[in-house]
Amino acid sequence: MEKYMPGRTAKIWALALLLLTFIVLDACKKDDPPPNDEDADLVAIPYDPKPYAIPKPPKFPEMPVPADNPVTVDGIQLGRRLFYDPLLSADSTQSCASCHLPEGSFTDNKAVSTGIDGIAGRRSSMSLLNVGYVSRPLFWDGRSPSLEDQALRPVEDPIEMHNTWANVLDKLRKHPAYPAYFRKAFGITSRKQITKEMAAKAIAQFERILISSGKSKFDRYLNGDPDALDDEELDGKLMFFDEGGPVGLPDAQCFHCHGGITNTGFSFFNNGLDSVASLNDFKDKGRGEVTGNINDNGRFASPTLRNVAMTAPYMHDGRFQTLEEVLDHYSKNGKGVSNEDPVIRQLGFPIPGTNPVKYSGLTAYQKRAIVKFLHTLTDPDFINNPDIANPFK
Amino acid sequence: MMKKLLLNASFFAALFLAGCDGTTDPVLPPTSDFTLTFKSLYDGQPLEKYKNYDYATYKVQFSRFNTFLSDITLLKGNEEYKLSDIEWVDFTPDSAPNDLAVEVPVKFSGVPDGDYTGIRIGYGVSPDLNAKQPGDFSSTHPLSRENEYWLGWASYIFNKIEGKADLNNSGVFGTSLIYHCGSDEVYRTYTFNTPIRVEEGAAATVEFDLKKLFTINGAWFDMTIPENQFTSNDIGNVIVAAILMDNFDYATRVTQ
Repeated sequence: MEKYMPGRTAKIWALALLLLTFIVLDACKKDDPPPNDEDADLVAIPYDPKPYAIPKPPKFPEMPVPADNPVTVDGIQLGRRLFYDPLLSADSTQSCASCHLPEGSFTDNKAVSTGIDGIAGRRSSMSLLNVGYVSRPLFWDGRSPSLEDQALRPVEDPIEMHNTWANVLDKLRKHPAYPAYFRKAFGITSRKQITKEMAAKAIAQFERILISSGKSKFDRYLNGDPDALDDEELDGKLMFFDEGGPVGLPDAQCFHCHGGITNTGFSFFNNGLDSVASLNDFKDKGRGEVTGNINDNGRFASPTLRNVAMTAPYMHDGRFQTLEEVLDHYSKNGKGVSNEDPVIRQLGFPIPGTNPVKYSGLTAYQKRAIVKFLHTLTDPDFINNPDIANPFK
Repeated sequence: MMKKLLLNASFFAALFLAGCDGTTDPVLPPTSDFTLTFKSLYDGQPLEKYKNYDYATYKVQFSRFNTFLSDITLLKGNEEYKLSDIEWVDFTPDSAPNDLAVEVPVKFSGVPDGDYTGIRIGYGVSPDLNAKQPGDFSSTHPLSRENEYWLGWASYIFNKIEGKADLNNSGVFGTSLIYHCGSDEVYRTYTFNTPIRVEEGAAATVEFDLKKLFTINGAWFDMTIPENQFTSNDIGNVIVAAILMDNFDYATRVTQ
């Protein structure tokens, strides 16, 4: 039997009381309003962040969202304004939307984009449709690990906005409207607390709502409307997804790099564009510039093909003007460069008696059918969505 | 503030009352963290992307190897303990340094301590899970990977092994090798009777050797035959995929 120990009980009660006191004091410390702060010029503006439920079109996966940047209604509103505001560039002439226009499915429909000083970049602007789903690093070369990081970069890029974040922050803090937007989005109490990281987070939040409407012809087909695609489009779909064998259609190998419901590749590929004597000879080394790995030279991110009919010209350098040219390229063999992806080979059916085996290429009908299928990925509801339009118009 | 205060006070009261209960907790068996490390090899050595490997009378290179594994289960006589419903193991991520395939450690918590007699692994995605699709899972779930799902077959791509062959030793790796296995028909389950002791900090290794995978009953899988250079995309023709999936038990080694 346990002994009764009055002294021990008293000690436990004393300890408990002490602990309770600490808890009470701790709670007071964290929740009380901050002491008077002459810089707290925004506290009168309500801060009431409301979570934003990211739409999920049928069959689409759940979008990953970083824990330190939850999407809120006010965060999106701020990000949308920043995205469309030329204030971010040094001479206030270019915004993110200058190279990512809604009517081009958030591309600029140019081979390469041009910055504020009229200097042409090396690469084409990438579509931002469904960019929130992209799990690989961002940009054609994957130099950015996240949307939050990516959004920081164009401001200081000398051939894009050619500005400094210090200058941008100065403009934002002095702006008649932006401090209130930052307050509502992030709960800051003073305009001095605006940071570039907050601006980037807000832009990333806006970019996460650039999502398919789920109403393209292809989506309607996937969701149970067999008449959404005509016979030719259906043939194209079968070849795109390598499922045409049973009906005598060749594999077009498209889905290996543009798979899944967002038709986005989640990796980097040498898709056989350039003939080079050695892997060091690529004019644009792409992924290799980031990793330093010679086998990554000439590899580029595979973009989404959603709305691809709206995003011409094609490839990282915009070398192909039409989808027909793209199909012509993929129908042929690659260039025989050692790090070309294995799926880059002549399409079509094996030619009997050839060793190594050669393929027939695609017929004119087959190419046309694939192009027609690609057009079924067009989503006018997305680009006409008023929630993602320029708020300054 | 008041809400937090009440919450803290409630917690404190509950703690105090629990201490006065007088009952004793049931004795639970001790558990530990247990790590399975998955490795990819070629001929016993760590797999390296784009490395020229001797193969039959010619050479091959590999550039991609990833796989789903289902229902990973520790066995002890008639007892079993499932470690995981599904894992996706990517040995050749874009971030793999110096093209060396990465080792993939997976830690399981709360595994009952003890001496197990083996482990059972499902190769691919088990049929019940394969009936679902990426949109059915949260963004952190292995099966949310839309690029590992084959819309055309309504199946996950169980594994991807890609590379090239230099069939005439010309120095040009001009023949593509694309092995993407999928569909319930080629799902396989293998048991490895290897003693595995689980205790705090214990670990075991699961190795997949691609040279063994392409060695079928002691003979090289003949990559000079065009039909053997890729898995058919005709769902009615899973011959090559079945050959490889049938051989994964030979290609797998479990050690502790």
